[in-house]
Amino acid sequence: MIGIVGAKTISGVSNMGQFARFVWQSMIASLRSCASSRTYPLIWTQMNIIGVRSVPVVMITGAFVGMTLAVQAYDQLAGMGLEEHLGILINISVVKELGPVLAAVMLAGRVGGALTAELGTMNVTEQIDAIRSMGTDPIRYLVVPRFLACLLLTPVLIIYADLMGIIGGHFVSVIQLGINSRAYWNFSANGVELWDISIGVIKGFFFGAAIAVISCYKGFTCKEGAQGVGRACTEAFVASLISILALNFALAVIFKAIYNTFWQLKSLV
Amino acid sequence: MKKKYENNLDMETCSNGMLEVKNLTKRFGTNVVLDNISLTIEKGKTTVVIGPSGCGKTVLIKHLIALLRPNSGEVYFKNRRIDNLNENELNRIRTHYGFLFQGGALFDSLNVTENIIFPIRQHCKITNWREVEELVKAKLAMVGLDGFQQFYPANLSGGQRKRVALARAIALNPEIILYDEPTTGLDPIRADVINELILKLQKELGVTTVVVTHDMTSAYKIADRIIMLHNGKIIASGDADHIRNHPHPVVQQFIKGQVSEDDLAVLRMSGTISQAQFLPRDFE
Ligand SMILES: Nc1ncnc2c1ncn2[C@@H]1O[C@H](COP(=O)(O)OP(=O)(O)O)[C@@H](O)[C@H]1O
Ligand SMILES: [Mg+2]
Repeated sequence: MIGIVGAKTISGVSNMGQFARFVWQSMIASLRSCASSRTYPLIWTQMNIIGVRSVPVVMITGAFVGMTLAVQAYDQLAGMGLEEHLGILINISVVKELGPVLAAVMLAGRVGGALTAELGTMNVTEQIDAIRSMGTDPIRYLVVPRFLACLLLTPVLIIYADLMGIIGGHFVSVIQLGINSRAYWNFSANGVELWDISIGVIKGFFFGAAIAVISCYKGFTCKEGAQGVGRACTEAFVASLISILALNFALAVIFKAIYNTFWQLKSLV
Repeated sequence: MKKKYENNLDMETCSNGMLEVKNLTKRFGTNVVLDNISLTIEKGKTTVVIGPSGCGKTVLIKHLIALLRPNSGEVYFKNRRIDNLNENELNRIRTHYGFLFQGGALFDSLNVTENIIFPIRQHCKITNWREVEELVKAKLAMVGLDGFQQFYPANLSGGQRKRVALARAIALNPEIILYDEPTTGLDPIRADVINELILKLQKELGVTTVVVTHDMTSAYKIADRIIMLHNGKIIASGDADHIRNHPHPVVQQFIKGQVSEDDLAVLRMSGTISQAQFLPRDFE
């Protein structure tokens, strides 16, 4: 029993070490590749696959989040006669938390799953070994374009989600629930700061990087067989999801600290 | 004209040992696959490694190009130790190799032409595309697949994939080619074409060749030297005649394709086939 726990701990620690090494190598290779024009076409292809094709999914997610918030929050606010504040509530929630997190979750499913499956299949059919055997670094050729595409496009997709969330919320509030449009926007404009929007977008870089690195790592270390690939995909999704939520919490704490020290000073000036 | 796309990395050339393996041991968990193996692959010769499936032939050949690292022991390429180099240093050395994988390992997302020019693109800047197209055509003609340039691997048969993979392996005109079961899964005629091709590459270009196989026809035809692996050890090593007349019973069983007495005994002991089958009434 103790032996089993011990062995699990050892393999867990060594896996963490392996993962950290993988992340480090990917970062170094990414920085190097930014300087070489040879990887640009690869990045471009991945941007199309990862980014452009995710736009509809992310937009639909955003729209439903905004609309649902409007429906749910209306009763509470109307009870207190504050229904015109609905805009600020919806827009802050969407822009700061729900837009980024839910868009990232959708991407972890859509993009992360595909990345793991693709790289995992390449791994078990020896294609990754084949790249190495021809004197090319598979991290540079496979991971870097995917990593950079996720890193750069997740924030953009989050902006799409935010926009659709705002439009969806407005649609339900004004057209469905009959709130005065001008009041809705006035309260929103006063309540939502540039800071709130930036937080959401900055989170996107972290979420995108986490999704790409975890999914690629799981693909690279995938076990033999179709079952191995399936398992790697599931594990990658769960790990991405948890790290998105954990990162979200950590970033919330950090941003709060930064906000309290700097942003308020700035508004005093 | 074609020289431009060939290797221009100079390395000190030296004695007859192109590749040398010293006391190599490889374990996966507690499974000892290779147990203290030493061998030398001679320059310009064809060395064939034989052994039953699962005896560690693929593991051995992957150590020769440092795709796998040994638990203990050393691997030398042209007297330079390679098993402890990092991947960056290895990438330069690996351009001297061609490796044919057991399943071909073609890139699914690239068509035949793109697969073959992959190694060229990675190491040279292609300026003249016509020249490269001709190169691809020539390499494909060598494996009898000219005309398949635009096909994707998914639309090729297993044997065709293997032949495209061979064309890719020789794209950079390597000095040493490692073949992992080149003839397995091919019909006898195609298998013989591959044998002839291996011989031709070795004779005309002086390529050092290592072939891993369990196809004895192929082994006898191409080998300058045959090595037999069994239980992680080398149990026989010599030319075709030496192996044919080798006294070791395991070698004789393998080259003649006979079942061992132990295996037969298991089959006899387990009684009639019908006793070992599930019958419909077992599920009621
Ligand atoms: N990556 C790996 N992890 C664990 N075991 C492996 C791995 N690769 C090979 N093995 C084991 O090594 C042994 C030899 O495999 P291999 O070299 O592929 O045999 P073959 O002679 O048929 O090519 C097998 O028992 C296999 O289970
Ligand atoms: Mg094998």
